[in-house]
Amino acid sequence: MKPLNIPIESMTLPNGLRVVISPDHIAPVATIGVYYNIGFRIEPRGRSGFAHLFEHMMFQGSANAGKMVHIKMVNSSGGVLNGSTHYDLTNYYESVPSNALERVLWLEADRMRALKVDDENLRNQRDVVKEEVRVNVLNQPYGGFPWLDMPPIAYRNWANAHNFYGDFADLDAATLEDVQKFFKTYYSPSNAVLLMLGDVDVDHGFALAEQHFGSIPSGPALKPTDVTEPPQIEERRGIVEEAFGTLPGIAIGYPAPPRLTPEWYSAAILDQALHGGRAGLIYRSLVLERQIAVDTEGGIQYPVGDLFDYNGPTLMVSRLLHKPEYSADQTLVAFDEVIDHVKQNGIDPDDLTPIKVKFQSDYFSMLEGGQGSSTPRYGLMHLLACFTLFDNDPKLVNTVLAGFLAVTVEGVQSAAQQMLTRHNRSIVIRQPAKKAAA
Amino acid sequence: MTATPFPETHGMIPPLSPERPVIWPQRTHATLPNGLEVVLVESHTIPKFNGQLFFRTGNAAASAPGLAEITSSVLRTGTSARTSRQIEEDLRRIGADLSSGAGTDTSVISFAGLVDFSAELLGLVSELSRQASFPADEFERERRQMLEGLRIERTTPGFLAGERLRKVLFGAHPYGSVSPMESDVENYTLEQLKAFYREHYHPANALLVHVGDFSPQEMLAQVEKIFGAWLPGKSEPAPDPPLPVLQGRRVYLVDLPAAVQAQVLVGNRAITRKHPDWLRLTLANSIYGGAFNSRLVMNIREEKGYTYSPRSGAHPLRQHGYFSVHAAVRNEVTAATLTEIFYEIDRMRSTPVPPDELADARNYLTGLFSLGLATQGGLAGQLATTTLERLPEDYLETYRERILALTSADVLDAAQKYFDSANAQIVIVGDRAQLEAQAAQFGPFEVFDAQGKSI
Repeated sequence: MKPLNIPIESMTLPNGLRVVISPDHIAPVATIGVYYNIGFRIEPRGRSGFAHLFEHMMFQGSANAGKMVHIKMVNSSGGVLNGSTHYDLTNYYESVPSNALERVLWLEADRMRALKVDDENLRNQRDVVKEEVRVNVLNQPYGGFPWLDMPPIAYRNWANAHNFYGDFADLDAATLEDVQKFFKTYYSPSNAVLLMLGDVDVDHGFALAEQHFGSIPSGPALKPTDVTEPPQIEERRGIVEEAFGTLPGIAIGYPAPPRLTPEWYSAAILDQALHGGRAGLIYRSLVLERQIAVDTEGGIQYPVGDLFDYNGPTLMVSRLLHKPEYSADQTLVAFDEVIDHVKQNGIDPDDLTPIKVKFQSDYFSMLEGGQGSSTPRYGLMHLLACFTLFDNDPKLVNTVLAGFLAVTVEGVQSAAQQMLTRHNRSIVIRQPAKKAAA
Repeated sequence: MTATPFPETHGMIPPLSPERPVIWPQRTHATLPNGLEVVLVESHTIPKFNGQLFFRTGNAAASAPGLAEITSSVLRTGTSARTSRQIEEDLRRIGADLSSGAGTDTSVISFAGLVDFSAELLGLVSELSRQASFPADEFERERRQMLEGLRIERTTPGFLAGERLRKVLFGAHPYGSVSPMESDVENYTLEQLKAFYREHYHPANALLVHVGDFSPQEMLAQVEKIFGAWLPGKSEPAPDPPLPVLQGRRVYLVDLPAAVQAQVLVGNRAITRKHPDWLRLTLANSIYGGAFNSRLVMNIREEKGYTYSPRSGAHPLRQHGYFSVHAAVRNEVTAATLTEIFYEIDRMRSTPVPPDELADARNYLTGLFSLGLATQGGLAGQLATTTLERLPEDYLETYRERILALTSADVLDAAQKYFDSANAQIVIVGDRAQLEAQAAQFGPFEVFDAQGKSI
């Protein structure tokens, strides 16, 4: 396999906005994104869910583009748009025919310069967000399992432990003043990266960035928020009632290493060994061979993030739905047999190369897609943004694979021994409210 | 960077610059002597390829509900040459993903992998299609997993709404069933699976769509080598019994006592993708509720805040199609939501769409089409849609110009024909106690439990 050589050009405007362009002219379309270094981890206390509610407000109007103009302008240009809130970042992105590039940059610049929203917009989006929480969490089997269940059990620092979708009382308490303050604090060019991918000329793209974003004033220097966790000395467990689903569930989370450390590369290969599809050790043992579980999935930041988009405490999570004739304890014993085997014996040396081949293949797919075919290069954009915001080096996209491919069987075993310890883990048990219908 | 030569322009939305030509890439379309239809497109975005082997038979043509689906699940668990574990390990060794499934009209093996290993992956796909061994223990494991999956589906509001609407629109026609009942699954026999496999997994019933980082000539030679000796069979087409007559609006309330929201789904039968009105309906749907910038979303999300993600869609199946509108809303505004859904439908049916809104929607659809050209997955999706339904060879090349030629009169005509306001069927899934009075305002209503029993 040849090393990757994706063209990546970057610059920083005087106001601190970083700009990254990755051109390809395969089709006359472009994906544009603005990523802000603010996620739900550091939203204000008493305002759980605010970072996400705020993301909705960014579609409600800016100085020169009122309510619905952003959406209308992008759709009528032949494009799609969306935004998403993560632990450590929030993104806004558009995929459009490339003749709409400047229009999209103008829209993004307008809302980076000045958000213009009123109480009516806030009331409207608060209602929308509540229905979003209902449709995704409160009115679905296994809603929020385990991504909303795990943090309050696993963490002690409010930044990591609170409800990221938001308690409804906190959503109700949010004011327009909170919105403008949050905007002024975090949505400044110096806390953001602008990305352009696809059918974009590099010099023209940089010139447009300067033209539209160059005069936006830089924001205040940000005080870092303390997101560290106190050392964990014993296993943590919690039980959550499952209102709909008929099967019991268990999720197990182990703290994952900080990004770009040697342990992080090894943890990624360990994760692929444990959770990589139907050949993964957990699925193979619990679903295919012993048939205790009906489904297992997992990964680093599963299911709301990935290996690359965190910059604070995070977990490698395994999620099991198991047959009701096995108790949670019996299922955990079977799970622990898989984990203990890897800690004691490592992985089969013959499996190391296949695991790396699959890891690399998955990485290529992520670069191209990641968000459906109407948002080409979303995955590449996401990686470029994370490597810029967190590591100040977008070109890591081309070189980071080498670190994973260098991991040894000893490295995987050592990662397993360090990461997968009982005293360091947290467990969510999702218990059906009533017995399954006979 | 040098200083920008551009003036400050904020305050004015920039116009679109001239459009670059949109060209659908060359494709190679061949039929092997055994009847296997093959469509190949090269796309060099990443050193991978993306393929789907379709069989033009799905659950609608099976002798028991869901039989195509369980057949597709079990076929990946063993062949005359490999065990389940070997299959999974081989896939990982060559960096491949594979999934097998079945819908209403098709069964499919989907796969993606590194081009360096394309012969190995195609070899495995061929083996699964021709030499699946249907191990009895794997079948029992899959049966149990399917049963547990069905039990969970029956607690999922979106599933329950869709299931009820399909039953109402298609009645005893096979399209009336989207999922088997537990008793169906309990009664499957291994012999039924093998018979379905023998009858429908053969090259004359198959279509291979294949997009990726390869030369089409070399890939076609590889496909001929791997699939050429596969013997054809003959499949009977799915039955097409008469459809129920639907007169007047009716309401179907599916009671889910734990629900904290109402799942609303409104629909009527419409047309297939082969119908001459298909693009008219596509455009009308886009304006009504098919896009973020559509009337339905503006109304019940952005103005009223009733719901997060309402949408409408035109759903083409092979023999028939249907149109539907869905929204998950807070209980108190269920009737208000239905009122707005019908208000917007009736507006589409009575008033021509203004020229600006029409142009915006045409641009949206042609732009989405262009976005699909940038990835292997996007190209494969467009190819699969058109080839599977045997649409005209130039369908993709002429799609944009045909969309751009549509008029306000076309949209009005499609809305009047296919947004059947007067005979719309209304499904509401939620807590009966909170919804019954609201449901009753929209027509005669029936109540069902989550198992599908009338109560």
